[in-house]
Amino acid sequence: MIKKEGSFKYLEIKNISKNFGETFVLKNIHLDVFKGEFLCLLGPSGCGKTTLLRIISGLERQTNGDIVQDGLLISNSPTEKRDFGIVFQSYALFPNLNAKQNIAYGLENKKINKKEIEKRTNNLLRLVGLEKYSDQFPSQLSGGQQQRVALARAMALSPGLLLLDEPLSALDAQVRSKLRNEIKLIQKKLNLTTIMVTHDQTEALSMADRVVVMERGHIAQIGTPFELYENPITPFVADFIGKMNLLKGKYDKKNCVFYYLNNRFLISQNTEYSFLENCLLGIRPEDIEIIKFRKNIEKEENILRVKIKEITYLGTIFRLTVVLESKLEENIFVDVISNQVISNNLKIGDFIDIKLKKEKIKLFESNL
Amino acid sequence: MYFKKNFNKSFNILLLRILIIFVFILVSFFIIIPLLPLFLKSFSDNKNNFIGLENFINYIQNPSLTQSFINSLKVAITTTFFSVLIGFIYAYALTRTRLPLKKFFNTFSLFSLYIPPLAVAIGLIYIFGKQGLITQGFFGTIPGFDINLYGFNGIIIGEIFYCFPQALIILVSALNLSDQRLYEAAESLKASPLRKFLTITLPNIKYGLMNSFFICFILSFTDFGVPKVVGGNFNVLATDIYKQVVGQQNFAMGATISIYLLVPSILAFLIDKNFQKNEASLISGKSIPFKPKKNLIVDSIMFIFCSLILILVIGVFSSIVLASLIKIWPYDISLSLQNFRFSNVAGNGYEPYFNTVFMSIYTAIFGTIFVFFTAYLVEKFKPLKKIRMLIYFFSTLPIAIPGLVLGLSYILFFNKPSFSVPFLDFQIFNPFSLLYGTMGILVLANIIHFFTVCFISATTTLKQIDKEFEEVSESLKVPFYKTFLRITIPLSLPTILEIGSYYFVNSMITVSAIIFLYPAKIPVSSVSIVNMDDAGDTASAAAMSTLIVLTSLFVRLIYEFTSRNVSKKSSVWINPLET
Repeated sequence: MIKKEGSFKYLEIKNISKNFGETFVLKNIHLDVFKGEFLCLLGPSGCGKTTLLRIISGLERQTNGDIVQDGLLISNSPTEKRDFGIVFQSYALFPNLNAKQNIAYGLENKKINKKEIEKRTNNLLRLVGLEKYSDQFPSQLSGGQQQRVALARAMALSPGLLLLDEPLSALDAQVRSKLRNEIKLIQKKLNLTTIMVTHDQTEALSMADRVVVMERGHIAQIGTPFELYENPITPFVADFIGKMNLLKGKYDKKNCVFYYLNNRFLISQNTEYSFLENCLLGIRPEDIEIIKFRKNIEKEENILRVKIKEITYLGTIFRLTVVLESKLEENIFVDVISNQVISNNLKIGDFIDIKLKKEKIKLFESNL
Repeated sequence: MYFKKNFNKSFNILLLRILIIFVFILVSFFIIIPLLPLFLKSFSDNKNNFIGLENFINYIQNPSLTQSFINSLKVAITTTFFSVLIGFIYAYALTRTRLPLKKFFNTFSLFSLYIPPLAVAIGLIYIFGKQGLITQGFFGTIPGFDINLYGFNGIIIGEIFYCFPQALIILVSALNLSDQRLYEAAESLKASPLRKFLTITLPNIKYGLMNSFFICFILSFTDFGVPKVVGGNFNVLATDIYKQVVGQQNFAMGATISIYLLVPSILAFLIDKNFQKNEASLISGKSIPFKPKKNLIVDSIMFIFCSLILILVIGVFSSIVLASLIKIWPYDISLSLQNFRFSNVAGNGYEPYFNTVFMSIYTAIFGTIFVFFTAYLVEKFKPLKKIRMLIYFFSTLPIAIPGLVLGLSYILFFNKPSFSVPFLDFQIFNPFSLLYGTMGILVLANIIHFFTVCFISATTTLKQIDKEFEEVSESLKVPFYKTFLRITIPLSLPTILEIGSYYFVNSMITVSAIIFLYPAKIPVSSVSIVNMDDAGDTASAAAMSTLIVLTSLFVRLIYEFTSRNVSKKSSVWINPLET
């Protein structure tokens, strides 16, 4: 994973809050961003991620708290005095300037000679692979090309920090995945500290060194994509990063047993589960096994007999929606590799036995 | 423990705040504050003694004056009804039918925008007046008939000419916003044409309809030119104010009548504003424009209707031109240019004409700059929200201030070299008084008189320009004024040209705002039309009108040519990706 110790804190967000009148948009946000790190702010719409990005840029002012960038307190600095480049969701390319003029826009305002501007602009065009398109106006470029111009323009002044506000959401799926890799490559090549806002978890997981999951104005969890997927600390994170079945039941701490309706599940011993008995059991769809044709299942643990309600084809896997006969309204999702479904000839209405892998079961505090 | 950045205060934000406050002061002093002396005057006698409501009571007790109020209302209501009706049918024909020669009808419908209402009235005299073409049956060749032009009839016809294109513009743009899919859905549900009209068409244009009612009401309620020329003994508020101020030098009563003129206008304005507040776009971005189907009966009826309207418009214009070219109507109908000499009539030769052209050029230049910059500051920035909202409100107000009221309030405000502070023995120098008696005050009155329409069109354009351009510029450390010059202005150029030409044309034809204001040494042509008409030199008045119309049309042509070039140039920015 990433070398947190080796790099220094480039950006410190200290106790940032933002409210519009009575409503809180951000509440006591603490966050450190390391030099050269690619950080993603991930969350559903309205979680405050874009507001946080705009506060870092100075386009929005925080109600409370401080921001320190590269050792300088910038909490109240106006936008134009801060050191960052930004790419907006709409790109906001100047329609009456061509690709090259757009990229050079910030440089021309500095007291740099024309040759130097020309050289820098050409380098940037090459960096984003648009040498051939330098004279084209934004309306003559495709979405992906416009995106690259916006990226080059944001990097023109060699900022210490790059801010990306949902930069890929306006593009179609294929272009998006290609650009994901390119942005990541450029970012690593320049060792440019980058913060990206997105609501797309695949994007966040595939691009970020660390992901900040946000929920209703606060940080739910910070971690590497791997940590978040494997060890979500709240049911919200668990279900937002990937998919997780959440079953409400009772936990018997002494015996390490979880009771769900009339079923009991054995849980691996974990001293971290210090909470009370009402809680949620979480298990990912891929961590549930089908054991339809195995004999002597009575001897095995953590088995449920369920009915197949729906079968959804997802390519390499099928996602089965299954229900307990005693609780028809609660869907449980099970991911099965396609071969298994076809060879076993599974159909809607069939009864099957599923097994929840003991070591993969997580427990969460229940707020419900 | 951290290095604190020294320059937390941004020069740009400071500059922006100063500019917003500066513009706020300007619009306050040009729009709101001049109304105060007018109000004060209406509560005073002519020796500036405060007399409370006495003027208002005198007014109500004077039957001939109250009759004017009723007359004005009658004129306004009748004109509004017919102008909106004609405007609606014409707009419907242009947008929702397969009218033959649509482009021709579209272009010429707005022709009467370039004819001053004064000139329309003069044209009407030559058609329906005592010696008019229709009244005398084309110089006695056919039997004629008299419509009794002077009075209510003449005013109504003239006002409809003046107001109908205004309603047309609003209703065409309202009717253009349509969604073919709604009509297709209705058709699939077997709705009758009437039901489609009542449930889809009307609800879609209700804001436009309301707005055109409001515009026509204010214009005809407050117009001065038409009643002045063809009103005869039918008195309206506008002519009353003129008589009180110019005829009797009774500024106090003039101010009082102004309030009677102002209040219904402001009321109409507030009703409309309140109504428009609820406007939400019913047409989504994905809508498919309506494509009218062929319908022989409807298309033919519309063709006849639109032709009749155009014949009237062109007829009025032709009769003005004809009258200006005929030696002595109706006795010597040989053609000559002697009426264009203006030397032996109640005018000052060509001086008024050139004064008016220069006044219009100045108005176009300074007005466009001022209005666009005001709209830009209001629309594009975050600081000083309350002040920006006030600027916005003030900017929409002039449309409800009748030209005569504006002119009168400007005299009362700008001719004071200083203000005395109430209850204190203290005088403040009035810097704006320096404008009094100069061309500047005429230009300023025109800028404010036509401010609202220009302001709204600038705001609409600026709204369509991505707000993030300013944010990107900030992040690239480019100050806002550079982005304004390099991005915002080029992108708004078509609108800027449109505003300039609107200012020019309206300054050419206007009379009400400047008739009290023009200094004796700077005569203007629309006022000389009034004076020539008063003195019986109607042919010369027609000649001056012809010059004004031709100049306006010429400038409009230049505008069309330039804006076509601009849009050709900018098409490369706007055209979608070639596939």
